[in-house]
Amino acid sequence: MTLIQKRILILIIVIAMAAVLGRLVFRAVMNLLLGGTLFGGNFL
Amino acid sequence: MRKQNKTEKKGRIMWAFIYIFAFIAAFGGSIAFKMKHDPFGGEFKVNWNDSVGKAYTDIAYGEGEANQFDIYVPADDSRSSYGLVVYLHAGGFTSGDKSGDAEMLQWLCSKGYVTAGINYTLASNDNPDANVYTQSIEIKESIPYVIAEATKLGYPIDEMAIAGGSAGCCLALLYAYRDAETSPVPIKMVFGAVGPSSFYPEDWKCYGFDIGSEESDAAARIMFGTMAGKELLSDFGTPEYDEEIKDISALLWVSKNSPPTLLAYGKYDKVQPYEGSQRLLKALEDNQVPHDYYLCEHSGHGLQNDNKVYGEYTRKILEYLDTYMPIK
Repeated sequence: MTLIQKRILILIIVIAMAAVLGRLVFRAVMNLLLGGTLFGGNFL
Repeated sequence: MRKQNKTEKKGRIMWAFIYIFAFIAAFGGSIAFKMKHDPFGGEFKVNWNDSVGKAYTDIAYGEGEANQFDIYVPADDSRSSYGLVVYLHAGGFTSGDKSGDAEMLQWLCSKGYVTAGINYTLASNDNPDANVYTQSIEIKESIPYVIAEATKLGYPIDEMAIAGGSAGCCLALLYAYRDAETSPVPIKMVFGAVGPSSFYPEDWKCYGFDIGSEESDAAARIMFGTMAGKELLSDFGTPEYDEEIKDISALLWVSKNSPPTLLAYGKYDKVQPYEGSQRLLKALEDNQVPHDYYLCEHSGHGLQNDNKVYGEYTRKILEYLDTYMPIK
């Protein structure tokens, strides 16, 4: 694997993690305001 | 060699910035997507235009500034009678507006019903005398105006359903169970989500009223009294207390004659208690009132974590309308 391929792979992982984290944080904030659990229910 | 190291270092710094930018963009983008995304793919919306129906807004029904309603009438005006669906807005009795439910009202109108969203005087510093009881009376007084307006527009109303979300659900339940006898047309059904219907401190854990201390009881007394617009003097758990709070407690009006009821609640609700909804459920069962109760097991007041259940509840609204108030 070349250096550029490694960097693109890391970039994809970073984007995926940020997207998942963003949705989780949004759900956590909504749960804080309205009530709710992070476990179960809608995916993320 | 030194030049190559410098280039590599520059490359690493550039990629670090790319990672940071990509992280921020994906993080913000996913939040924006979650906020804007309709998980039902437009199933409960309609492209509102003249071929679907017409809306008439801000029609007065009383002296108060907030005493206004919007009415949506279907394009087909050929029928001899129509069912009315009233949907009351949410907002904790202190905020909100009928325009917030336009999507729901348009969608239900597209199914062939006359629909109406009604504003009521919100409790605020400007309106210190407004409370749940006065709001429920305003709703009661508004219904004849809504029906008269529909008739004037060429849509005679012969039956109705009443509904709402949260505070609107509380007011809808009160009208359906408490004021049905005074309604100009029969109330065929009531539906709503996350509306408080009972006021027992042990249920209101989300506010710490279940502790049972002098302070928590006093706090509950103040809050429930403010909502009812009166000083509550009786001890909690006594028939005298029930009599005092009855004005705003839909639960205490459930009887064998109550209309079919469709409800949705969140198990983790922090705004109004899930436990109160269980009392309402039991009252409906005890009185053999036709009902369906949807529990969003992972959600709070917004029913936000259970799209599947919320979708089933919303589809059930149409089933209820088809059963109890079919288009003639």
